[in-house]
Amino acid sequence: MSWPAVEGRHYPGAEAGWWYGDMMNHTGTGSTTISRDAGHRSTSSTPVVSFVNVSKTYGSLKAVDGLSLDLRPGETTALLGPNGAGKSTSLDMLLALRKPTSGRINMFGEDPYHAVKSGRVGAMLQSGGLMPEVTVRELVTLVTGFHPKPEPVDVTLKRAGIDKFADQRVDRLSGGQTQRVRFALAICGKSELIVLDEPTTAMDVETRRLFWSSMKEEVAEGRTLLFATHYLEEADQAADRILVINRGRLLADGSPAEIKARAGARRLSFRLDKVDEQFLLGLPALVNLEVRHDFVQIQTSDSDATLYAVLDAGYRPHEIEVTGLGLEQAFLAITAEDDRANGADHNTADHNTGETI
Amino acid sequence: MGGTLSLAKAEISRLRRNKRYLIFTVALPVMFYLIFGKTNSTGYGVSFKAFYMVGMASFGAFSGAFNNNALRISQERKDGWIRQLRLTPLPAYSYVVAKILASMVTTVPSIAIVFLLGRFYGGVQLPVWKFLVCAIAIWIGTLIFAALAVACGYKLSPDSVQPAVLVVFFFFSIFGGLWFPLSGALQKFGEFTPTYQIVKISTDVIGQGSAALVNVIGIVAWFAIFVALATLAVRSTAETV
Repeated sequence: MSWPAVEGRHYPGAEAGWWYGDMMNHTGTGSTTISRDAGHRSTSSTPVVSFVNVSKTYGSLKAVDGLSLDLRPGETTALLGPNGAGKSTSLDMLLALRKPTSGRINMFGEDPYHAVKSGRVGAMLQSGGLMPEVTVRELVTLVTGFHPKPEPVDVTLKRAGIDKFADQRVDRLSGGQTQRVRFALAICGKSELIVLDEPTTAMDVETRRLFWSSMKEEVAEGRTLLFATHYLEEADQAADRILVINRGRLLADGSPAEIKARAGARRLSFRLDKVDEQFLLGLPALVNLEVRHDFVQIQTSDSDATLYAVLDAGYRPHEIEVTGLGLEQAFLAITAEDDRANGADHNTADHNTGETI
Repeated sequence: MGGTLSLAKAEISRLRRNKRYLIFTVALPVMFYLIFGKTNSTGYGVSFKAFYMVGMASFGAFSGAFNNNALRISQERKDGWIRQLRLTPLPAYSYVVAKILASMVTTVPSIAIVFLLGRFYGGVQLPVWKFLVCAIAIWIGTLIFAALAVACGYKLSPDSVQPAVLVVFFFFSIFGGLWFPLSGALQKFGEFTPTYQIVKISTDVIGQGSAALVNVIGIVAWFAIFVALATLAVRSTAETV
């Protein structure tokens, strides 16, 4: 799987459209018009973070493959992708924990290491741990002290919702409490950029809601937020912008509404008396096919083309219905289509029952 | 530097709350000295009570700087605490420096207690400067084992560091002659260990008023080797920490 010249053609920089269209080359629709519908977003500010053609390989595995993106100040961006899509590796490189095999990452105009050491970024990683045998307050006080212009400790404790158990020992907390302490460490430095990797894992529904409401306070103060998640609901509700990545590549970039409305994320369903699965599987723009007796349901990136092909073949389906899909299905469509284009996992793409995430 | 010092302070307060650490660095050497300290014998040309005072102080300092640090570093690497620290403005070297500083500080009382015990329980009569020189030699020796602990902690997983620590600990304790003075073939072999050299420098100071150059060189050489190993271990794990 190589992606020659994709970067050069489709990624002009911050003003690139939300949909880079590189995968469209593989779908057979030939649609290129949606690849450049940009201009809906302010491009005046210099990016807080920029990835320029960043790749990371582990042996023969390409974890991140020519990733280019920009984060603008004050924006809340969700990095959305299935497990193993390259989210954590990308964040690790952004935070100077790993070095890119090739490409360049810039944060606040400097290299990631110096940006981290100047305290301009606060981060919470899945793999980050806490110092045991000290109390929550002692730990937060310690880490707060490392930052040049920190938040007062009591403010951090309150915001993270950990003031109630501030005098408990760190190693005696529940999973959700631990997660909130890690969040406190990410915000205690009053950093301009906050990076969170799957922040609400191990949190119950209520804690998750509290988490996002305190996160909104942070963002309201003008901070830039980047978070990785595989909860689509979260990306939908919290983010201004969603970056969909799969196989280490950026597949889509846009507001939740844009991702949902993205051309092709539609479901076409109809009834057909004599179903020929082989024929249906060969339909243009097909992403996913489900057949139950005479009921056919197709997820398609171009519902018109798919339907016309059915009609052109002489079929006369009835009860035809075309619906736009939610974010989850759009996400599924985007990644499944990518997997299919790469010929990696035909089962997922061909007879998907909605369980791929 | 401020951040490193506050991290070291936090490490010290953790150590003070750690029973296992107190048992190995303070309680065990004290207990052994109370039991065997009055044995009527000699070692390396000095009385056994003087030899054993030096041996037990080294034993406490060694286990304090080595066992605990190696286990902790390995565990904290696995838990992601080292990673978490790397996400703060704290300089990259701070974690290791704070660990070493903390063990340097916490071994002071353990050495002091054993020396006081030697003086007032064992009845070791020495000029004050000899007590001081010996204590300082042992204290500096702590550094060597702190460096070895960093190498083991970074390179080994928590599961494998446990047995490795025991092997290293018993090897250097026995063949370094911390528990009993070496002689004959055992001494020929043990002479090369850093623990032997630390003890020998101290007993030479006690007996003759000066240390042999070869032992001082030996200490410096071991220190260089362990620091090199530690540096390699830290570097080679930079992407997986």
